[in-house]
Amino acid sequence: MHLTIDGRVVEAVPGQTVLEAARAAGIYIPALCYHPKTGKAGRCRACVVEVEGLRGLKESCALLVKDGMVVRTDTPKVLQTRRMIVELLLSEGHHNCISCQSNADCELQEMAYHLGIERPSYLVESLPTPKDMSSGGIVRDSDKCIQCGRCVVACQHGVVNQVLSFAYRGSHAQVVCDDDQPMGESTCVQCGECVQVCPVGALVLKQPLENKIRPHETTATKVTCPYCGVGCQIDLHTKDNRYAFAMAHEGQWDRQPNKGMLCVKGRFGLDYIDSPDRLRSPLVRKKGKLEKASWDEALDVVAKGLKAIQEKHGPDAVGFFTSAKVSNEENYALQRFGRALIGTNNIDHCARL
Amino acid sequence: MAGLATTLGSGAMTNSMEEVFKSKVLLVIGSNTTWNHPVFGSLLKRAVKQNGVKLIVCDPRRIDLVDFADIWLRHRNGSDVALLSGLQHIILRDNLEAADYIRERTEGFQDYKKSIDFFTPERVQKLSGVPVEDLEAAARLYATAGVGALYYCMGITQHSHGVDNVKSCVNLQLITGNIGVEGGGVNPLRGQNNVQGACDMGGLPNVFTGYQPVTNPAAVEKFSKYWNVPLSDRVGLTLTQMIPECGKKIHAIYILGENPMVSDPNLHHVEESLRKLDLLVVQDIFLTETAKMAHVVLPGVSFAEKLGTFTNTERRVQLSNPAIRPTGNVRQDYEIIADLALRFGQEFPRAPESLFQEIRDLTPSYAGLTYERIREVGIPWPCPTEDHPGTRFLHAGKFARGLALLTPVTYSPPAEETDEEYDLVLSTGRILEHFHTGSMTRRSQILDAAVKNGHVELHPEDAKKRGISDGDMVTVATRRGRIETSAMLTDRVDRGSIFIPFHFAEAAANMLTNDALDPIAKIPEFKVCAARLERIAVAALEQK
Amino acid sequence: MITKLIEKKIEKIAARYPDRRSALLPAFHLVQRESGGFVGHDHLIAIAKIIGVPVSEAYGVQTYYTMFRREPVGKYHLQVDTNIPAMLAGAEEIVTHLEQALGIQVGQTTPDKKFTLSTVECLASCGTCPVIQVNDRYYESMTKERTDALLASLRRDKMPDMPVETHFHTECNVLLARRGLPNATDIDVYLETGGFQGLERALQMSPAEVIAEVKASNIRGRGGAGFPAGVKWGFLAKDTGKPIYLVCNADEGEPGTFKDRQIMQYDPHLLIEGIVISGYAIEASLGFIYIRGEFAWIANILERALEQARNKGFLGKNILGSGFDFDIVVHLGAGAYVCGEETALIESLEGKRGNPRLKPPFPAVIGLYGSPTIVNNVETLASIPFIVERGAKAFMEFGEANNFGPKIFGISGHVNRPGVYEYPLGTPLATLLDAAGGVVGQLKAVIVGGLSVPILTAQEAEGLVMSYDDCLKKGTMLGSGGIMVLNETASIPKVALRAIRFYAHESCGQCTPCRQGSRTISELLAGIVAGRGTRKDIDLVLKLCDSIKGTTLCPTGEAFAVPIEAMVTKFRSEFESLVS
Repeated sequence: MHLTIDGRVVEAVPGQTVLEAARAAGIYIPALCYHPKTGKAGRCRACVVEVEGLRGLKESCALLVKDGMVVRTDTPKVLQTRRMIVELLLSEGHHNCISCQSNADCELQEMAYHLGIERPSYLVESLPTPKDMSSGGIVRDSDKCIQCGRCVVACQHGVVNQVLSFAYRGSHAQVVCDDDQPMGESTCVQCGECVQVCPVGALVLKQPLENKIRPHETTATKVTCPYCGVGCQIDLHTKDNRYAFAMAHEGQWDRQPNKGMLCVKGRFGLDYIDSPDRLRSPLVRKKGKLEKASWDEALDVVAKGLKAIQEKHGPDAVGFFTSAKVSNEENYALQRFGRALIGTNNIDHCARL
Repeated sequence: MAGLATTLGSGAMTNSMEEVFKSKVLLVIGSNTTWNHPVFGSLLKRAVKQNGVKLIVCDPRRIDLVDFADIWLRHRNGSDVALLSGLQHIILRDNLEAADYIRERTEGFQDYKKSIDFFTPERVQKLSGVPVEDLEAAARLYATAGVGALYYCMGITQHSHGVDNVKSCVNLQLITGNIGVEGGGVNPLRGQNNVQGACDMGGLPNVFTGYQPVTNPAAVEKFSKYWNVPLSDRVGLTLTQMIPECGKKIHAIYILGENPMVSDPNLHHVEESLRKLDLLVVQDIFLTETAKMAHVVLPGVSFAEKLGTFTNTERRVQLSNPAIRPTGNVRQDYEIIADLALRFGQEFPRAPESLFQEIRDLTPSYAGLTYERIREVGIPWPCPTEDHPGTRFLHAGKFARGLALLTPVTYSPPAEETDEEYDLVLSTGRILEHFHTGSMTRRSQILDAAVKNGHVELHPEDAKKRGISDGDMVTVATRRGRIETSAMLTDRVDRGSIFIPFHFAEAAANMLTNDALDPIAKIPEFKVCAARLERIAVAALEQK
Repeated sequence: MITKLIEKKIEKIAARYPDRRSALLPAFHLVQRESGGFVGHDHLIAIAKIIGVPVSEAYGVQTYYTMFRREPVGKYHLQVDTNIPAMLAGAEEIVTHLEQALGIQVGQTTPDKKFTLSTVECLASCGTCPVIQVNDRYYESMTKERTDALLASLRRDKMPDMPVETHFHTECNVLLARRGLPNATDIDVYLETGGFQGLERALQMSPAEVIAEVKASNIRGRGGAGFPAGVKWGFLAKDTGKPIYLVCNADEGEPGTFKDRQIMQYDPHLLIEGIVISGYAIEASLGFIYIRGEFAWIANILERALEQARNKGFLGKNILGSGFDFDIVVHLGAGAYVCGEETALIESLEGKRGNPRLKPPFPAVIGLYGSPTIVNNVETLASIPFIVERGAKAFMEFGEANNFGPKIFGISGHVNRPGVYEYPLGTPLATLLDAAGGVVGQLKAVIVGGLSVPILTAQEAEGLVMSYDDCLKKGTMLGSGGIMVLNETASIPKVALRAIRFYAHESCGQCTPCRQGSRTISELLAGIVAGRGTRKDIDLVLKLCDSIKGTTLCPTGEAFAVPIEAMVTKFRSEFESLVS
């Protein structure tokens, strides 16, 4: 089916929302509370559009496409609304892009940029609220929160850890952990889903914040989580060939095994790859002690040793433990080595453990 | 996987994880899902909360999932066969079984049925501690709610009778007609990111890749021809069989990325055994407890530095990309193996994709997979051809072995039961923040800070009897060893039971565990043994 | 800690609802009442566990509603309504007087823990302001002298009886027919005066016939929006396989409105009969009365009436031998204006924060517990027995085209006899003001439909007829029919500030324009009233009002943007005189 957005004919599929269709066509509609994983919420009002034949403004995140629909995202009322939303959001709390961890990775900033708003025309004075640094991996800055509710929906209905909730009411409403406990003292299990969906700098990862690495500086690579068998797809962010932080891979998230989620281990447990304990050289035992050796030396010791035992005791005197942690290709290579070149089926791994 | 393979002809999770949303009822047994497979735990919770899927949790511990359960069956450690068979007894007694399915798709019903007669609700209550009315309610719910999926983990397999446990799971799913249907299945959750792949790749003593038996002459011929060498058709030894043979039948062991010095039961014994080897080679990224004992240590690379495929618990083959370049004098793991192969006169492929091509050539279930196809989204095997979409759930219409086998089961108590001296039931497992032997998680800043040390979960009443407060140092002893650790008072464990996470080498749970093996699967009994627990006097601590 | 007994009571409450989560608000009320006047951390954890909700959500619910306290209060909690009708009647002086008499500020508790003083939003006593709510009890028409008498009695630990003179009159004898009868809440009195004949008649008709009769009467919803009730019933999703629910909206919270209370307080069986007939018509088997938490004492009147109705077979299984089963659950709100909006009300009834839902779907399709649901106002439902018993024609003899039927008007502010007056729709405003004893002093302005409608200047109000259509024509709305009269002594900037503070206090906080807009306007108006404002601020208020209109998730944004805009525009000079 087709609809017209701002005079452009755009293709859409039934069941799609106007927002989805517009974005698929590269038409910018801001949406601060809608997120593909948390769904429509109707809270931010940033995505409103006008539709021919329908009265008033419509939330494009909730409005399903209809064939022949004529949508406008650039009418005076739509733009007036967007400006008001940005100004109102910027007028409360303390939004300071210069020092914000989410600079250049912020949907409110992007929206303000699109509208050319540098400063709101009014400010509501308030004292800064101290950041909640109590959690091991996550920093909460309620002064940057725009009450979009993504984190609450994600925590309650996405990962179903049921820690974050809205408390209080009106302009006093805020996101709290349990009954307003510091995050580190709450029942939070640090899955980090709230950080994953936060559109602004209200929920950020502590490690990159402390290491002064902002998301826009990193390179993301899709990897498979090294922990349990779920096989979560992770975007491993690196900077200067070092680990920076991890986010769930969101490309085709609904078709991935983890549906765009991670647990505490996948989210925070990958920095071991840069551990100073990493082995950086082959080691060979000499006079009872393991000492650094060249690859040739080490491999020769192994090859000679295996050959000697093979010759003396037969191939079944050698055993191989393949690994549930290395790739299929490597497991394949080692069992081929054991079977084809040593001649034994003494091959096992720790699946039982 | 032995239990699954005998009865269904294939040993893997039959269905996919996302099918929880298609199920009407879920039975989770021996899986602390929200700690061990947290992301799948989230999907489970979501299915219950949002789709109204019914949930039955069977676990001796009050795991977090209990809060989401419609019925919680708190059975004694090691009474799984009794519990599962008890449910089946009620289902058959009340004619709630899927009679057509049993007739059309299974064999062995009569013998099986006879074995189930034994498990009357009253007897099962005695054996498992689960009240009759709870058994009745759970059986009725499970058999009548609609399509049901069964999920289990190491709480089922890590027993001296683990194969019987698995068979009981399969039996339940067969008589309720829940295998080979969307949203059903027997689903063992795999604990490591490539256990499934390691099995698929022939990292087992009895099969080549894709579960082609080494005892099958055709298979031997096929591999022999492809690799251009003669091959053995003798089934090899399992890891747990190799350890005691060290210095006897076994003289060299090559270990790739494993740490049996923390992960195996009865560690004193493991250490003694490995010392008897003439050659111990360890290929790893850390100097693990096991690597420290090696003659040669070969530094490989982490997952983040490699290109390659990993097969997840639902048989989905996914491509992982290198995010960082290796630093230092290390090599890609496949290169190390190729370097060795060269010293044995053979050239192995030196690119992951070329190795994968060999896998495809030799493994029908992987034949249709290419790197290109799985670059963005993985595909579950079997995937025989390049135009095949992959298989979300197995056994639709037909089982790998034709008819599924309903197997008679018998109850046997755990290999070790409590007595006056060792009066507590000890179980081991993971906690949320750590993984396996801790070699990765304990080197992660945030995870390490979250839980620094080991502990033992102890019921407050048992603690009171022993004069123990939360955080007190205690000794835990079994017939095999003793450790010191701190007490965590919690009603997660039942009275008379304790639980120790196994990630902490300095207080290694496996100093205590029983290396009694399941006779078929050779899996050790990590989940139940008898232990004694005492408070360490303050004076004794100060002396240290 | 929560005792076993309280736990049992919570379980009993939970059993009344199709989903036990609905017992969350009742559980908070119960614990607060029986465990020391507040719901603390331990209480909360225990309640969450009993009901089976996450602690985080339970806390979110608790803190949404102003009536739930997290700290202990004094033995007597004095809450003074300071909303506009009360303000016009001198509530501010009562607050000051109380502060002096008790030696504490608003928000504090006396050192002997005997008294806590709070100010609250509209308590729906607009005709009998100022009002002080002491614990669960209302003390109305308070003067300094009456306040002293009240305090003296409370100091002796006695909740006094303090009669109030109320004003009412009915031209129609439909909704306020029994207003003056003694013991009118008793079912025997109700039966003696012709009660439940509408129900008997309805049960002889088919549900479709009842709907048709109601449709024919053209009755428009009396909650404020004026949507035809029969048409609304017609939107019910059919054959969903789910039960249908009927919810009576008794969350009367629109400042200036105190009409529904008259029915529930003085003629509860009329409402019950209306609900049962309506339940029969839409084929529901369970109905709810969602009544605002401050009306706990009125809820008791309703509960007693329901019990009587059950005993006489007008409610419960097989009503009057017809085979129709229907029952009613009274559900207390807990201090949240927005819960008067039907989807917020449904959320609240489900035990959640009273946040309005995104529409569509509308409640008639997906409402309470995901089932088709009809939400009707008290006055609407109380009109149903008359329509069914006497027929649509009789109903249409009141009023005029498109604006039929009797209507209760609540008149407050600067009139001589503030009170409730039942007149046909289409009655001139002047007639109503005369009925209310005439304006005190010089009429300056009037708000005719509750606080959310645009204010009218005295000039604009001339010749106004109180019908949906004429109000619309004159640039305002009939709304709830709560008429607030302002004379020359009223300061419109102050009224505007008091109004926006109310909305800022009540905004649910979900959507940006309402949450932040109400707060920002409130700050701007506060500056203006305090003499700190500028002309630019006045323009900014107007700009914000204009921008907010039509952009919010529910009608609350409109509910303040439109009236504030009207006040500023129509009385701009008054605002300008305050700024530099």
